[in-house]
Amino acid sequence: MQEFLQLVVSGIATGGIFASLALALVLIYNAMGLVNFAQGEMAMVATFIAFTLISHGVNYWIAFPATLVIAFAGGIAIQRIVIRPVERAPLLTLVIITLGLTTLLNGLAGAIFGYVPRSFPSPFSVQTVDIFGAFASYRDLGVIAVSGVVLLAIYLLLQRTTVGLTMRAAAHHPEASRLLGVRVSWMLALGWGLASAVGAVSGIMVAPIILLEPNMMQTIIIYAFAAAVLGGIESPLGAVIGGLIVGVTVNLAGTYLPFVGGDLQLAVALAIIIGVLVLKPNGLLGRPSVRRV
Amino acid sequence: MVQRFRTLPPRYWLVLVVVLFFIGLPTVIDSFQAGEWAQALVLAIAIMGLNILVGYSGQLSLGHGAFMALGAYISAILVHRYKLDYLLTIPIAGLLAGLIGFLFGVPALRLSALYLALATFALAVVAPSLIKRPAELTGGVQGIVLLPPVPPQGASDAYAAVTGAAMTSDQWTYYVTLAWGLLLFWLAWNLLRHRTGRAMRAIRDGEVAAAASGINLAGYKTLAFGISAFYAGIAGSLFGLAAGFVSPDSFPVSLSIQLLVGAVVGGLASIPGPLIGGIFAYFLPIESNQWVPTQTWIPTQIASTIEKAGPAVTYGAVLILTMIFAPNGIVGLVGAGYARLRGRLRGVPDRESGQMPQDPQTV
Amino acid sequence: MAALLELEDVRAGYGPTSVLHGISLEVQDGEVVSLLGANGAGKTTTLRAITGGVRWTGDIRFSGKSLRKMHTEDVVRHGIAHVPEGRGILTELTVEENLKLGSHLRRDGPAVRKDYERVFEYFPVLRDRRRLSASTLSGGEQQMLALARAFLMKPRLMLLDEPSLGLAPLVVRAIFEIIRAINTEDRVAVLLVEQNARLALEMSSKAYVLEVGRLAIKGSSAELKGNDAVRRSYLGY
Repeated sequence: MQEFLQLVVSGIATGGIFASLALALVLIYNAMGLVNFAQGEMAMVATFIAFTLISHGVNYWIAFPATLVIAFAGGIAIQRIVIRPVERAPLLTLVIITLGLTTLLNGLAGAIFGYVPRSFPSPFSVQTVDIFGAFASYRDLGVIAVSGVVLLAIYLLLQRTTVGLTMRAAAHHPEASRLLGVRVSWMLALGWGLASAVGAVSGIMVAPIILLEPNMMQTIIIYAFAAAVLGGIESPLGAVIGGLIVGVTVNLAGTYLPFVGGDLQLAVALAIIIGVLVLKPNGLLGRPSVRRV
Repeated sequence: MVQRFRTLPPRYWLVLVVVLFFIGLPTVIDSFQAGEWAQALVLAIAIMGLNILVGYSGQLSLGHGAFMALGAYISAILVHRYKLDYLLTIPIAGLLAGLIGFLFGVPALRLSALYLALATFALAVVAPSLIKRPAELTGGVQGIVLLPPVPPQGASDAYAAVTGAAMTSDQWTYYVTLAWGLLLFWLAWNLLRHRTGRAMRAIRDGEVAAAASGINLAGYKTLAFGISAFYAGIAGSLFGLAAGFVSPDSFPVSLSIQLLVGAVVGGLASIPGPLIGGIFAYFLPIESNQWVPTQTWIPTQIASTIEKAGPAVTYGAVLILTMIFAPNGIVGLVGAGYARLRGRLRGVPDRESGQMPQDPQTV
Repeated sequence: MAALLELEDVRAGYGPTSVLHGISLEVQDGEVVSLLGANGAGKTTTLRAITGGVRWTGDIRFSGKSLRKMHTEDVVRHGIAHVPEGRGILTELTVEENLKLGSHLRRDGPAVRKDYERVFEYFPVLRDRRRLSASTLSGGEQQMLALARAFLMKPRLMLLDEPSLGLAPLVVRAIFEIIRAINTEDRVAVLLVEQNARLALEMSSKAYVLEVGRLAIKGSSAELKGNDAVRRSYLGY
């Protein structure tokens, strides 16, 4: 029983991390209309930049914001150089290009830093907190808290400010927005910069837990995607609930289902994705969407 | 009869030349190289399948490496455990993979391009682990080793009659692969010329309009998944034949990326594209690894980084550059160049400026 | 005095197809001008050329300044509001957000608030539905939203592309009343593209009739209304 409780609690903790990434996905892909397969790899590169700064003696609390600024600039640069030339191309083209970006970034990171996992400092202690006899670390909770704050800030920016409004307008209705004086190109670039910075935060928060290496974001993105699908891709609340469920399920399956074991936990995520899509395609909280011509 | 020959469009002659080229190729290269070309053809077949999915029906898949693995393992298991003749297992592997692909196509209907990419990516990432699990059946981490196939007497004699040397195992593999390649390309060409192809292209270009025209969206999209998985399965099976063994590590995520790069570079939504793409995808990493160190103008830092990074960086850059500058791949570039040339020669007005080209005699 | 909007020998098209073959027209400050003609005559293309949605040659001047090579968003920022075919409603956003995009460039706070009051006076339904998604509005209501949004931009010139399209006669009448009010009270010039020639001629002081990309007739609305032959051949009534 104790073991079960522990698994659930730590599942909720990791689930919280999945939830925050799923939230980021939902926000970035839906609210901002951003199509970026390389979201995870960009976050990984940003984290490596932070790592390089820190290992050259820069204080964590300076390296962190510096990395965010660099990530922001990098996101804008990528949008200007790689995405803008194909602004009017079909969705498929955009996805393929961001796929190319993923491969490129992963390869570069691997070549420059190698694939050996490294440890990454965290501002939170590894000490644990007692929750009904089970333990969760301050670090896990800290990650969830920081992600929550960042995502809340982004949400408020998008929904309550004029800048956020113009960004959303530019993303979903570029032509109509131009007729309203919105500088669509720059708003899209801004969106990319912002998404890149959010990704950098995720990467820096998560790296201490899963260890820094070029492939670190790949599996995590799949878990986050499973969480988003489960919750209903359009729903922020769904992403949170989905994340928690995925976290707990994966943990329990890993321990109690003998044929799953450690390395097939990802397959559980895949099974969730397929299962949801077949049985309840709109997820738990999603609304059936009407496609307008 | 002669009359019909004369009226065949030049394209058919080109196809004939290419086919003859590939039939004759092993006679002028050594056996090892024939094995390499066989692998390139294997990729071309898988890419043809991917092309049907991506180029013609507009659905992205990063999981075709997994379908290749499926085909390869089905064949390997049938041979290893049930002692079937390898050649017999090839179509079986293809059909089973095709069925699974078709089933996978059902949930895939719900996902837009980006999410479908993520889902199939997940499939590719998970595949090696899934294979290792039932170790009894699949040989686990070590995989299954296959005996090199012995060329049958008839083929070997025919080959000896032409070249004076006995046919090697690699060459036999090459010819089996070529035969399947020709069959599958011909099949694809027929499929895509007619109703199925038109329906798929209509779907790719505008789903809502296609549905409004009465096209069964779900049906054709899942069909496309099934067909493309069928091709990948056959390619996987042939891969096992060519490589001599199958193991989980033969089918990493990068294979799926490699297939996509080949499809894009060759030319999406074209028939010759996958062939060019397959050759490109197979030989590029090998050639660039040999070429880069010899280029003295590249600073050693960068050169060693590129070497260590392997094909990933090249693939990524190629994908990006191709989609920006030549979204229709090599076939598209050649086609556009050819059209422009013909236009100049025939005196067709330049579409952009509305001006007639210069009369060739007066300069 | 130079006209507010001047088009001089404008040619435009889509790729290899040429649609406008040399159009010249003028809109004075505060004037309402109709652009008439059958389907495919090039009326929409003319409006799109003005706001940079299509490539053109010749010259287009607004307040004496040439709009050549200007991006759409910059043309609009100079004081031209364009309500396109299909109304250009941002359906992912709410009614209120759509309106805000109309006023988001303005810096004159109190005047903006007054203008919002007027908008809600003209179109009460927009206040009632303001937190709802713009996609829930009916055709007529969307037209009202588009017009309100254009008005909030405080433009000097409004380009309206077939405001009556697909709307019931009562709704059309209401909308045209408001267009007239905006024109007279705020001195906003209007270039009105309409297939409903009668309605347009009632509103405008001057009219141009396009035929297959060329100017067939121009004159004051009174002239055109009065000329039976012209009415029957070109205006369809």
